[in-house]
Order: sequence, then structure tokens, then C-alpha cells
Amino acid sequence: MPRDENILRQKAGGPMVWLMALAPLVFRLLRAVWPIPHFGKTFVVTRYDDVRAVFLDDRTYRVPYREKLDVIMGGQPFFLGMDDTADYRRDTGAMRQVVLRSDVPTLLAPDVERLAQDAVDKGNGQLEVVDSLVRHVTFKVFGKYFGITDPPGEDLRVWATRLFEFQFADAGNDPALRSEVDHIAPALCAHVLALIEARLQSGMFGDDVLGRCLTMQAKGEIGFSDDQIRTALIGFMVGGPPQPPMVLPQALEQLLRRPDALAQAQQAARDGDDALLAGFVFEAMRFDPLAPALPRVATQKSVIAVGTRHMTTIPSGANVYAAFSSAMMDERRIPSPLQFNPRRQPHEYIHFGHGLHTCFGIHMNQALLPLMLKPLLKRSGLRRAPGRPGHLSKSGAFSNAINVLYD
Amino acid sequence: MKQTTLSVVLEVQPQSADNLSALIGELRHREDKPPPGSSEQYGRLKNGVPVLHFMSLSVFPSADYDPIFVIEANFDGPAGVFWGQLEATLGIELRAMLRCCKKPADQDGPLYLAVTSPDSRVPLAPYLEARTLRPSVFHHGTRGMDRDRILREGELFLATRRVLTQSSPTLANPYRAMTAEQIHANLRAALQPDFPWLDIPAPIRISRIERAGDLARLIIFLFLLLACLSIPGAVIAFISPWQRFLVIFAVLGCVVAFALYLMRAPLEGLGAPSRSGGLTASSLSRRNKLTSLAHPATLAIAVMVLLALYIAVASAIGTALAVLFTGLPVETLWCPTIRVVALGLVSVFLFTIPALVFWLRRLERRDASHDAPPIDSDMMLKMGQREDRIAQNHMGSVVLVKPGVLRTLLFRTGHRGLGLVLRVVATDGYLGSMRTIHFAHWAFVNNGSRLMFFSNFDHSWESYLDDFIEKAHGGLTLAWGSCIGFPPTRFLVLDGASHGRKFKAWARHSMAVSRFWFAAYKDYTVDQIERHARIANGLRQIALTKKEADAWVRDL
Repeated sequence: MPRDENILRQKAGGPMVWLMALAPLVFRLLRAVWPIPHFGKTFVVTRYDDVRAVFLDDRTYRVPYREKLDVIMGGQPFFLGMDDTADYRRDTGAMRQVVLRSDVPTLLAPDVERLAQDAVDKGNGQLEVVDSLVRHVTFKVFGKYFGITDPPGEDLRVWATRLFEFQFADAGNDPALRSEVDHIAPALCAHVLALIEARLQSGMFGDDVLGRCLTMQAKGEIGFSDDQIRTALIGFMVGGPPQPPMVLPQALEQLLRRPDALAQAQQAARDGDDALLAGFVFEAMRFDPLAPALPRVATQKSVIAVGTRHMTTIPSGANVYAAFSSAMMDERRIPSPLQFNPRRQPHEYIHFGHGLHTCFGIHMNQALLPLMLKPLLKRSGLRRAPGRPGHLSKSGAFSNAINVLYD
Repeated sequence: MKQTTLSVVLEVQPQSADNLSALIGELRHREDKPPPGSSEQYGRLKNGVPVLHFMSLSVFPSADYDPIFVIEANFDGPAGVFWGQLEATLGIELRAMLRCCKKPADQDGPLYLAVTSPDSRVPLAPYLEARTLRPSVFHHGTRGMDRDRILREGELFLATRRVLTQSSPTLANPYRAMTAEQIHANLRAALQPDFPWLDIPAPIRISRIERAGDLARLIIFLFLLLACLSIPGAVIAFISPWQRFLVIFAVLGCVVAFALYLMRAPLEGLGAPSRSGGLTASSLSRRNKLTSLAHPATLAIAVMVLLALYIAVASAIGTALAVLFTGLPVETLWCPTIRVVALGLVSVFLFTIPALVFWLRRLERRDASHDAPPIDSDMMLKMGQREDRIAQNHMGSVVLVKPGVLRTLLFRTGHRGLGLVLRVVATDGYLGSMRTIHFAHWAFVNNGSRLMFFSNFDHSWESYLDDFIEKAHGGLTLAWGSCIGFPPTRFLVLDGASHGRKFKAWARHSMAVSRFWFAAYKDYTVDQIERHARIANGLRQIALTKKEADAWVRDL
């Protein structure tokens, strides 16, 4: 199936991909001998308890997203970059009135399953999973749900993925990417404002998230000014849809490496046992999660692992990386971490962060990610395509492609 | 799967003891009466901590110490995983309880402050791990059986009942006309679709490595014990010719033995009616299996081999050390070292052990026992309200340990030895002739000044203690005999717990209310679990021989 080559900036492969492949081994060694390694003012926290402690202490370990969010949002604050303030609670509270948990089974899940089924049927026995299945379904479903269409003459998938890369996967501050972002960000803001204006003009708000926001605005509810609506919608589109195409192909790759687990996951999909299917998908993700770590910045001098032998003092302003991928493999808290077990306890997973900045769409992800793979897993004879295309290739932090065959 | 037993003992701020008891009570109430929609009582703990077999939360008040808060836990696998699951399930409640406790004075103080400070979100598991107390003696009645297996095989057993039951009262039950092999084949065919794990061999309960480790630890313990006891004799053997040595120690031994003979009987009115359970010479019989240490020949050979092994190993180590310190050649040192080791060993049995027993017996004759310990009627009422509600019961007790060098050494060594012997001997759930304990352990608390005991057992408290008084009071007296107020003992293992009424009163007096107690399989006794396992093991086999099937079918 043809795929749009422009969505990802970088070419597949490269030294970063090799380094990332070594991360589990390195983390395993670090957990045992140097649980909180540091290089200058950069600290990496590798053990389960310490990772949770960092995520939970949001006053001391603040998210570092604000600066780049300001670039994307044109200076309008988005709650992802905020501390636990009244503004944070107001903005998240406002969005919880329009992004409803009850939408998952009624609106989102049926759409995801239908579109995924269509993509698998259309593939006619062979499919590139990253783009033709996961990215296609994700952007279709969430674009419709949030009420964000493609900008005229542009591709929302490209814009959102670029902005995502700039926000979360551009530690080196690549000037080329910044140049693209300087063009995309204001254009996307203008596009969303235009969508808002068009709805207001028409007087037909609709029942998507944008429509619900405008309804709340009309009622005079706080947190629903045009700028706030625009910022939240851009935040959702940039922070959300680019992630499933990164992580779900990784999960599929892990399943393909484990024929027994794949067979059981397929059986769960065929039996319609969505809870068990979710267990297989999230367990597969544990072996190759979205990212190795999430960054935080210490707002004050602090101590991690206080009272233990690896107690470490963190200076104010230090960059702290909470390695949640390592935490999910920590044998001190995770039973038999190297064993593939789809029936683990919920606390053994930290896929969606923890604490104040737990993923806003965690309930959607928990329900929808498995459903995106479900139609494919239902197919008999699911296997890798011959040769390299049958193995997951990556472009930096992003999944690039993986081709599968099925009967 | 290896099971783990441990406890966390925390001193409570006296002014917060009532609050702590109330918090435990609230937790118990919530788990006893779960909100509508919850699946079952204690379902949160059962589902959230899938490795947990039994757990209790208790507060022990004391006239001599501030109260202690004890978390007793019996679970599968490593402790870290358990603490992680427990924190994820009861973290909020446990943190509130920890805030009622004192800050430890040792290196765990900063961690306590971090965990209990207002609005703290610091993980609890590292603190609970740091304060974990390992038992001095423990017993697992369902050794090697993980919780999932116990529950799974319990479900299988219930399924066998359903299949074997003839639903129509007017028709004959077809199973009655079948042979044992046919019953097995039919049951397996009926149950296998719902229990696909019947096609997988049963997990090994005690691996060879674990068994070898238990045995090695016991042998090392005995080796070190002999080495320590032989030190006085070995020192004298350095300077004394062997003939003179033997004469001196024979004379000393006779003197001590005569003194012991004079002291052998209980003081008037302090004797117990029965002899020591399981520890009498009559337990040895030629009718026992030749492979059992209860056969006199086997025991004699085992002792000889052990002593010979001791002489060989101790001599080798002694020679190596002598070469290191003197620089003399091995050939020169080898024979004198063997002589010293052998004479030291002789002295252990001729003099050292009799002398220690003499010293102990002198202490025993002067010991005070608590004939009528006061029992708080309110506490008794609360205990009674919590007992006999399910097939199992729970008890927790804390007692003071008698002071003195000899007592401390004997008590600690006795516990260590008893613990190691139990690991080697009690592999099938039986303690002597009883199989009523799921998990039990002793542990020293308050710097060894108190002894704590917890047991999760089948049937009533009365019958549980009666069993021990009748059948295993020797071991019980060894484990508890050095505690203040324990009924009068003789030679460390005699009498003591045989004073049935006194022992029960003393045990009740030392107990605290089990404020929160969780049992993962409340309907199953140890015997029943073993029965389930035998049935499941039979059904795992595709076919049984006639002899195997006849034995297997008796469990149905």
C-alpha cells in the first residue's frame, strides 16, 4: 500500500535507532549498579520507586514543556506546560466537560474498529501498519472527534507530527525543524481559529469537541474563550494522534517476535475479549514503550531515594529523566519482568505517565489502542512480510514502517 | 514457587495508638462490607495483591513498651513485588497508619519522615522493605504451592463434585459402576476443556536446588555449632597430652552428669503429666523406614558420618589456618590439628553440653512462671468475635524473653536450629503428626527482648493449641520456653507446653486482637488443599495404573 513519505522528516535507521535498541540492557545494568546516573546537571532515574516519586512530586520536578508550547500556541498557555495551579485545574476541568469518558464506547470505539477493519480489508492480504493502518485511523477518528479538519491544501498528519517532534523529540533543537515549526504553528492556530469562526458564523456547533466547547462558550462557562478553545484543540491534536503510530507498530513488532503471545492475542481478538486483548497490547508495549524516559526539571534542591543506599541529591535546575521504560522492567517491583504476561496488575504499567501530568487521554488510549490492532489480529495467517519490510524500521523516535501479510 | 513470610514491626506513638486501631478497624470494615458493585469481601486485596496468601495488621499494647504495629504477610515470591502490589492497593490507608508510628531512631529515620510528611507522595514500599523483619523460625503448610495454584485446584475440585453428582434422583449414578481407571478417564475427559492447564505438568513444589540449599544450611549450622562448643576442649587439648585430657574430661563429665541426674526430676508440683512429644527415644524404631532418620541404624550412621565429616573439614580448615599463622609445613601440622579437633569434639559430648545443660537446669529450677496470667475480658470478647468465622483462624502474640547470657545463646541458637530443621523435615505440611498450619512464624522484636508469634491455622484456637500440647509440645517448649511467664520447663524441651491449661492461659494473655486479617482461600484447610493437589495431579496424568487409580479415587 502506498504511503506518504513526507510525514516523517528523518530517514529510517541511523545510530540513534541502534542506541535506542540498547537501552533495555543499559537500563538493566544501571538499575543494578548505578540507579541514578548523572552527567553534569542531567540525572536519569531508573528504578520503579524513584520514577514514580519523580512523577508524583510535580512541585519539585516540573514539566519542561512550556517554552516550546509557547512557540506552538503563540504564547497562550496550555495545561501540559503548567504546574498544579488554579489555571491548570480550570483548564483541565473545562476540557473534561467536553472530552467525555462516555464518548469512548459510544463515539470513538465504533469508529476506530470500523476504520481499522476497512484498512485491513482494503489491504487485501498485505498492509503497512504504521501509516496505512494506525496513523490513518488515528487522525481520521480524532480529527472528526475534535472537529479539526485538514488545513486547506495541507496535511494535518504532517503538521501534527512535526509539532509533536518539535515538542517532545527534539532534544537537540534542530534549526531546520524550528524553521518548519515557525511556519506550521501560526498556520495551524489560524486554521483552528478559522474553524471556530466558521462554526460561530453558521450557528451550528455540532457534537464534536469543538462544537461542545462553543456551546459552553455560549453558556458563558469559564475556560472556553476562543484562544483557550484553539489552544486546547491544537494541544490535543499535537499531543495525541502522533503517538499511536509510534507505539502500536512497536507493540505489533513485539508480538511478532513472540509467536505464542501473538497467537493468544489473535484468539482474544477473535473471541471479542477486549480486556485480554488490551493486556496483550500493553504488555507488548512494555517491551518497547513510546519513549525510554520523560523529562522533568528540578525547581529546587531535592533528594531522590531518600534513606536508601542510592540516595541522590538533585540540584536546583537539573534535568531529571524519569525512565519509565526502565521502571516497567524493574525486577524489584515488577514480577518476572522479562516474562511476557498479559495479565499484569495496572500499577505495573507507566505507559501514560503518572501523577499530575498523566496523559489527558489515558482512557481513550487504554480503550482504543487495542481496538486499532484488533481487526488485523483477527486475521488468520498474520505474519511478517518477507525481508526487511517485515521488520519494524524507525526514524529517530518514530516508527517508520512495518509490513505484514495475512490471509 | 517459593513462599515468603515476613513482618514489619513499627513502634507506635502512644497518643496515636487508638487512632491507629481505628484506622485498621475502618479498613477492615470497608473490606468486610465492600461498596455495592464490588465483587466480594476483601476483593480489593485479593485482586490487587495476587501473590498474597494471608496478611494481618495488629496492634500489640504492652505495659513494658509502647504499642507496636505489626504487618504480618505470607505471600509468593520476592518481597519487593509484594510490597509494590500492597502499596498500589492499600497505599493510602497504610500511609495514614504509618503516620501513627514513631520515627525510627536508626538510619531509616529520614525515609520515615519522607514517607509520612504532610502530602507526601514518596513511595511506601522502600520504607516497608527497610523495616522488614525476617522470622527466626517459620513453617509453611502448603509449601511450594502458589496462591493461583491453590485457587485453581480448588475450583477443579468443585468441578469434580459437579461432574460426579447425579442430578436426577431417580437414575443411578453412572460413576458408581465404573472402575477407578474409568472414573479417572471420564473425569479427565469431562474437565479438561474447562481446565486446559491439566495438560501441563504440575509445577515442582520444592526444587532440588532449594532442597539442597536447606540441607546445606542445616549442615553448616551443625558444623558451626560443633565448632563453637568444642572451643573449650580444643584449647585444653593444645596443652594437654591426650590421655590426660581424656581422664580430666571423663572425670568432669561424670561430676556434671551426676549433678544432672540429681536435678533431672521436676520440682514438686511443677511436673507435667505427659512426656515430650516427638522427642522421646521411643520415637526411634526399627520398624521405621531404613531411609528415615527415625530408624536407629540410619540415625547412628548419619551421626557417625556427620562427625567424621566434621573432623575432616574442621581439621582441614584448622591446618590451613595453622599453616598461615606458623609458616610450618602441612605435614607437620596435619596430625596435631586432627588430634585437637577430635579431642575438642569429644569434649563437646563429655563435658561442654552436659555443663551447659547443668547451667540451664539450675536456671530452670529458679525460674518463675506465670500461673494465672490476667486476661482482659474486653480483649477476650473482641478476640472471640473474630474467631471461628471461617475454616481458618489467626493468632498473634508477643511475649518477653528471659534475660541472661545462657538463655539468649540457647534461645537464639535453638530458634536458628529449629528453623533450619523445619525447612528440611516439614516439607509436606506436617509438623509431627499435625497438618493444620498454613503459615506460622516466630520473630524477635525490640532488639531481641521480645518474641513475636503469628499463625494462620485451621479449625478453632482451642483445638489448634490442644493439638500442639498433645503432639508437639517439645518443639513448642523449645521455641517459647525461654520467655517470661512460660510454664516451668525441664531440659529446654520437657514439660513447658505440656502444662496444657497454664500454657493456654499464658498464650491467651500474650495475644492481641487480630484487627485486620486477610485469608485468600478462606474455605480450604491445609488437608483439603493437599487433597485438591492430589486430585489435580491425578487428572494431569492421561492415564493411571490400576494401583495409582485405586489410590487416587479415594480422594474424590
